[in-house]
Amino acid sequence: MYQIMVIEDDPVIQEELSVLLKSNGYEVILPKDFFNIISEIQKSPSHLILLDINLPVQDGFKICSGIRTFSNVPIIFVTSRNTDMDELNSIMLGGDDFITKPYNTSILLARIASLLKRTYASEHAEVLTYQEVTLHLENSKIEYQGNSAELTKNELKIMVFLFRNAGKIVPRADLVEYLWDSQLYVDDNALSVNITRIREKLKSIGVTDFIQTKHRQGYLI
Amino acid sequence: MRYKEYLRDQLPAIVTHILSMLLCVVFLSAIDIQASIISILLVFWILIVAIYIHIRFFLRKRYFAELLLQLERLDKKYLISEVMEHPILTEDKIYHRLLKAANKSMMEQVSESKQERKEYKEYIEQWIHDVKTPISAMKLLCENNKSDITRKLMAELTKVSHYTDQALYYARSENVEKDYFIKEVSLSEIIHAAVAENKQLLLQNHISIEINDCDNTVYTDEKWIGFILNQLIANAVKYSGKEPKIGFEENSKQGQVVLIIRDNGVGISESDLPRIFEKGFTGENGRTGKSSTGIGLFLCKRLCEKLGIGIAVKSESGQGTQVELYFPKGDFVKVQE
Repeated sequence: MYQIMVIEDDPVIQEELSVLLKSNGYEVILPKDFFNIISEIQKSPSHLILLDINLPVQDGFKICSGIRTFSNVPIIFVTSRNTDMDELNSIMLGGDDFITKPYNTSILLARIASLLKRTYASEHAEVLTYQEVTLHLENSKIEYQGNSAELTKNELKIMVFLFRNAGKIVPRADLVEYLWDSQLYVDDNALSVNITRIREKLKSIGVTDFIQTKHRQGYLI
Repeated sequence: MRYKEYLRDQLPAIVTHILSMLLCVVFLSAIDIQASIISILLVFWILIVAIYIHIRFFLRKRYFAELLLQLERLDKKYLISEVMEHPILTEDKIYHRLLKAANKSMMEQVSESKQERKEYKEYIEQWIHDVKTPISAMKLLCENNKSDITRKLMAELTKVSHYTDQALYYARSENVEKDYFIKEVSLSEIIHAAVAENKQLLLQNHISIEINDCDNTVYTDEKWIGFILNQLIANAVKYSGKEPKIGFEENSKQGQVVLIIRDNGVGISESDLPRIFEKGFTGENGRTGKSSTGIGLFLCKRLCEKLGIGIAVKSESGQGTQVELYFPKGDFVKVQE
């Protein structure tokens, strides 16, 4: 479980960011006191810091320089000012990445994930298992009782999303959005085609009725 | 200054001389002076007056010609009163004083307006930055509570973002020089970022996306090019037709990278096509129920000029639109790492 500290003075954004991060499997630390922000950071170390530039008391740049005196924790600057000066400043002062408001959540999450991956050796098992069906992410194969079939890029992403939400009904719209976030621009029809193909492949390795269609709601494994 | 006009100005003096001559003739005749002597006197008198008038004409003509030439050479013509030589004649001095005073008051007015404009621009920029915070908050709220309604809201919020960005870049576009950061960016990265930016808008409008081998890199400012792509995508969505599609394709010849953005929307009529980059031009599409501001493409063009990107639009009414971006060749040596 990675811990992310969100330093942001807008209460709504702070709260919603923590909801978003929690629902994507991160723990969130929220500092309360902007006057002693540095000591708060020292007291509760995190794996990554999201840092707003426009803050009360002192701006994000100063805080960043302060953090860099004692820690190399990855820092992503979040700002509504998208001047290149800001971008340069943030990189000069030891920020690792820079993202502007209003940010796109998928981009934000992708940046967080890649920064964590770069900083901390990947601790993910690149394998997902559910009801004896195993998904191998690195060679995009699906396996059941020793038989395996190869999946295309789209099919693999669809399966990853279904596995991550195993036991829950996944709305088609969510699935399409997830694919778009992974830069696979699949439309509704193509999604149906992909699901059909996955079912055929599952059948070939001896799995039937693994993916259920819930009429007007979505898919379920 | 024409000779005729000058003579007309000199008329009072000439009339005065003629009257004096007549009086003299009358007076001299009265005291029995010979007519021949009177005529010699008159001839000399007329000669002297004529010479004086002529010389003065040439002097004045030369003086004004020099002044006009100076004005011609001046870049900022309103500075003429500052750079011209101080006149010698009293009348000229008065005119000079008038000119200076008028200029001074105008300069004050101009600088006041400039200051006001600058303050307003700063306020607009500040306002845009401020409004981005609630937009972000709303986006996050929608993202965390996904439903059909919030998806529609997200699409609308994307439009709001577009408009705020447009305003920001309009305010900034005059001095792009101060705010850019050329680096090597991969085409596919900026395209994917622009698509992600408009995800909800594209999904809500059921637009399919095709990206064909855009794996080259270009040297440009990521932010500005992102804005340009955003505008083009927004236009493609706005003027989409049946089974809408947006395609991105790279087409590079002799080291020049060309990005083609193609849609199959309503297109642009032939008569509108030459004018689409004009500020405030809305054209047929803008008038037929699709609200158009005529700012988007104008800004795209302006930013492209600043970034050295060539932009060309091909379109036929009802056949979709194709925008081509010609990126400048990166002719500097890459640093070997």
